[in-house]
Amino acid sequence: MTRIKRGYIARKRRTKIRLFTSSFRGAHSRLTRTISQQKIKALVSANRDRDRKKRGFRGLWIHRINAIIGKNKKKQYNRYSNLLYNMYKGQWLLNHKIVAQMGILKGNCLLMIANEIIT
Amino acid sequence: MCNVHNITLSQFQVAEADRIDSEEEHTALSEVSMALVCGSASVTFPSSSFPRHSHRNTSSSSSSSLVGLQFPFHKLVSLSLSPSSSSNTNARTLRIHSQQQDSSILPPEQDPRFLCVEPEPRFKGPDIWNKTWYPKAADHVNTEKTWYVVDATDKVLGRLASTIAIHIRGKNLETYTPSVDMGAFVIVVNAEKVAVSGKKRTQKLYRRHSGRPGGMKVETFAQLQNRIPERIIEHAVRGMLPKGRLGRRLFTHLKVYEGPDHPHAAQKPIELPIQDKRIYLQR
Repeated sequence: MTRIKRGYIARKRRTKIRLFTSSFRGAHSRLTRTISQQKIKALVSANRDRDRKKRGFRGLWIHRINAIIGKNKKKQYNRYSNLLYNMYKGQWLLNHKIVAQMGILKGNCLLMIANEIIT
Repeated sequence: MCNVHNITLSQFQVAEADRIDSEEEHTALSEVSMALVCGSASVTFPSSSFPRHSHRNTSSSSSSSLVGLQFPFHKLVSLSLSPSSSSNTNARTLRIHSQQQDSSILPPEQDPRFLCVEPEPRFKGPDIWNKTWYPKAADHVNTEKTWYVVDATDKVLGRLASTIAIHIRGKNLETYTPSVDMGAFVIVVNAEKVAVSGKKRTQKLYRRHSGRPGGMKVETFAQLQNRIPERIIEHAVRGMLPKGRLGRRLFTHLKVYEGPDHPHAAQKPIELPIQDKRIYLQR
């Protein structure tokens, strides 16, 4: 067979990967082999964490709701669990995110709602 | 915050709310009627799911807004004050007809249904509802944080440390963000009088290692309390704060002092609110 040099095919492929990894720290953006590995790890993390992000935010919202309910409603002994239970009973369709945002941006509104559904 | 005040007013009548701190508890009759009429437009909000609120803003048809309007209306009218009910009915009927014409003509700034709505930038600015709130730099300036003071006399060590850590980290606030230092400063005085239950006074060991072989130093609670009493509370709280860059910074917000005095009178610290009933040592 005639001799065929590989030429720059491998380099073309690796430049794209290098571009992806260009902002990584230290050897992870400089050394060819580690670049390939780090790109794979980064994409794996991104994929997995897209689902974790949803979990994380939901936990944050729950925490924030619990904080504002617990801060102001001690006289009625309200917790997040009480609030959610009463919301489901009263068929309020607000999702956690909006309730948490309300707690921060319009705390009075949330407390009014809590008052209304507890009674 | 006309929107909130109006709902407050109607709720005040509905739920006999002593619990709500409403600023206008004593109002004139005109303001009540104005509130009921004006509030009826915005009271769709609690009775329906939230997206309806945003739908209404984006040029909803007048029929859907009417449907929303009628739903809470009977609740309001049935509980309004008797002398004003008749005038309210008339006013409300008139209101609906005028709104039917107005909604198609007027822009949101002049639409009478939206006059009570707070002029948030939500019509023009960034989306503050769908993006989870994240604090700006101005929201966690150190100079505007609360300062708390706790007297550690006869308080159980771990429970006290737990409460302190919660307040330092900001976990009791609705603006809690795990990546940002939103908490308060805590001053602990009388640190040498902190208590432990059982035989911990002689049996609890504090260990540290110098790094060299055979360099483990051990001392009991009592010995450490004699030597450096502040370190006991600091050790306890540090174990309860997150470990990392942010945790180390949070730890610097804890100020522990041995006697009853502290040099932070200028920060006007307030009493740390303690919910734990078992924090006081049971003798």
